Amino acid sequence: MRVTAPHLAHLWVGLKGTLEELGVESVPPPPTSRRTLSLGVKYSPEGLCLPFKLTLGNFIEALEAGADTLLMAAGTGTCRLGRYHLLQKQILQDLGYKFKMIPLGVSEKKFLGLLHIFKFITGGASWAKIIPAVLLGLKKYSVIDDIEREVNRVRAVEREKGAASRILRQAITAIAEAKRPHSLREIRKYYLEKLAQVPRNPNIQPLKVMVMGEFYVVLEPFSNLDVEIELGKLGCEVHRNLYLSDWTKFSFFLNPLGMNEKQRVHRAALPYLKRDVGGDGWESVGEKVLHAQDYDGLIHLAPFTCMPEIIAENIMPTTKEDVPVLTLICDEQMGKPGMLTRLEAFVDLIRRRRKAREKAAI
Amino acid sequence: MVTIGIPRALLYYQYYPMWLTFFQELGAQVVVSPPTNRATLAEGVSRAVAETCLPVKVFCGHVVSLIGACDYVFVPAIRSMAYKVHNCSKFLGLPDLTRAVVPESPPILEVEIDVDQGKRALYQAIYSLGRRFSCNPLKVKRAAQSAWQAHQDYVARMRSQGLTPLQVLEGQSIRDETRGYHLSLAVIGHPYLVYDSFVNHRLLERLDRGGVKVYTPEMVPQAGLDEAMAQIVGQAYWTYEAEVVGAGGYYLENQVAGVIGVAAFGCGPDSLMFEMVERRAKKLRGCSFMSLMLDEHTAEAGLVTRLEAFLDMIQRRRQVTACG
Ligand code: SF4
Ligand code: SF4
Repeated sequence: MRVTAPHLAHLWVGLKGTLEELGVESVPPPPTSRRTLSLGVKYSPEGLCLPFKLTLGNFIEALEAGADTLLMAAGTGTCRLGRYHLLQKQILQDLGYKFKMIPLGVSEKKFLGLLHIFKFITGGASWAKIIPAVLLGLKKYSVIDDIEREVNRVRAVEREKGAASRILRQAITAIAEAKRPHSLREIRKYYLEKLAQVPRNPNIQPLKVMVMGEFYVVLEPFSNLDVEIELGKLGCEVHRNLYLSDWTKFSFFLNPLGMNEKQRVHRAALPYLKRDVGGDGWESVGEKVLHAQDYDGLIHLAPFTCMPEIIAENIMPTTKEDVPVLTLICDEQMGKPGMLTRLEAFVDLIRRRRKAREKAAI
Repeated sequence: MVTIGIPRALLYYQYYPMWLTFFQELGAQVVVSPPTNRATLAEGVSRAVAETCLPVKVFCGHVVSLIGACDYVFVPAIRSMAYKVHNCSKFLGLPDLTRAVVPESPPILEVEIDVDQGKRALYQAIYSLGRRFSCNPLKVKRAAQSAWQAHQDYVARMRSQGLTPLQVLEGQSIRDETRGYHLSLAVIGHPYLVYDSFVNHRLLERLDRGGVKVYTPEMVPQAGLDEAMAQIVGQAYWTYEAEVVGAGGYYLENQVAGVIGVAAFGCGPDSLMFEMVERRAKKLRGCSFMSLMLDEHTAEAGLVTRLEAFLDMIQRRRQVTACG
């Protein structure tokens, strides 16, 4: 069995380690690239959202590299995503690939479901082996995310552009190789210190920007054309409402803290959107209402044809909590120059707005 | 007397008799917005954000046309109509979306229907809707029962007599069977695309005039739907999977020479479901399939050309099989 799964942020950093620990051979898809995208676009129906196309592209490239068992998220209540694996399986079969597809009902069975999947792909390894291996993988995500949160702050003020990103890359390599929880703790400490020492430009007054929207395009930098890095270059301190480890915690465990935060967001959205609309549309409206005061601007990421986010996009302009929002529609047509022009105009706008407010406050 | 406005869009085609009966039994008057026209579409398109799918834009246009004509606009939020079968996000967000897009709309009468939550919750939702008109719980209950009956009758009538919603709801002429058809085709898709003749450029009428007998999803027996669904997707996941995948799969193997799928551009579920039907058609080989993508820019001429090409292809195919 040669297992693969699509890329999603740093998913593979943890997954590879876990599978290795368990002695399962894994075939990570080659890093998502223009080729991945064009393969995905070529074999997908036109109107499907970008997550479908990119994950399909990942699968094709992994199959070319010899994978034979595909893991794919599934389950009800997750919008179209729950139905992706069916069509992807058909498309790949029609292309002539031989493989087995395992749909992961992540949100339903939580951690137990996850453990059982590992039991299955290891051909029945003992729980004593599986549990620590899975926990180690999950721990890796939270360390990466701790470091990335800091990176997103430093990027706005670093003197040498790209310094923080470089440290992040080094950290990820180290985390991928770590085999013990305590070495992860050391790695975390070491790289956070390193980030603290990055020389800063004291003249920059960073703007605070939140990146939010649909789960996949928020998490996967290829799909949003590295929007966080670009915002950093423009002097914006980026906060994200979602990190991979938040999601794993929330989907695999009943995390009481995560639950509370979600409820807070939902409650904030209530006056404008009374119910969950699938995907992350409810959260998008809620984040705007809840954090209008905390940020200079919000970047709302939505895949083209994404139904929940289109609802949010229709509703957000009407909230009385006021903060500038830039909706970026992510699809294969989105090009870097176009996005940069829009980002620059937006950052200009929120900078002027902030100055005007500061003046008014004096 | 209270007047309730019902937009002639989206779920109107499936549930109008039910809603009408319910409100009438409770002593309210019902008005329906006029059929979609250029102005309805233009209103909807200018108000909703560009990425919104055509049917939702059309819906907003209908709400605008009800301004001044009623005391309330009825906009249900339908989460599920069967156990573990989900609706498109747009239907869940519809009341709030309408409020945001048409702020001057008459007050919105909303109810959340979620069959997945069980009978009790369903009854409670219906009761809290009915209570606005009558404080007598028995009366509400009776109204709900008659409404359900009206719905059952409506569905049964279409299925047994081979009628489309338009024929039942608007008394459109029953087909003149003696006129003779030279071809049978099925048209599948969401009712709000198949039956809105402005949006689909009079597709059904055009086919009928051209001597094509048209079959629609409502005419497929339940067993046929279930079987086709099981074949293609296994368990149902979307509410309208039946009218697209189920009906499509059924017609690919029964009664007709070709299937035309009508889809909305930018509709998430459609792109997924039609692809499955198309792949199935390729596998079966016997029956031709074509999908028509509709949006506000769809030109009548383009649609006609594609339709003609499709009909030609079917004719040629037939001749080949006849000779072979
Ligand atoms: S939430 Fe949006 S992007 Fe995600 S599956 Fe649904 S439609 Fe696609
Ligand atoms: S199913 Fe498609 S056409 Fe219908 S409301 Fe949803 S996105 Fe629009």
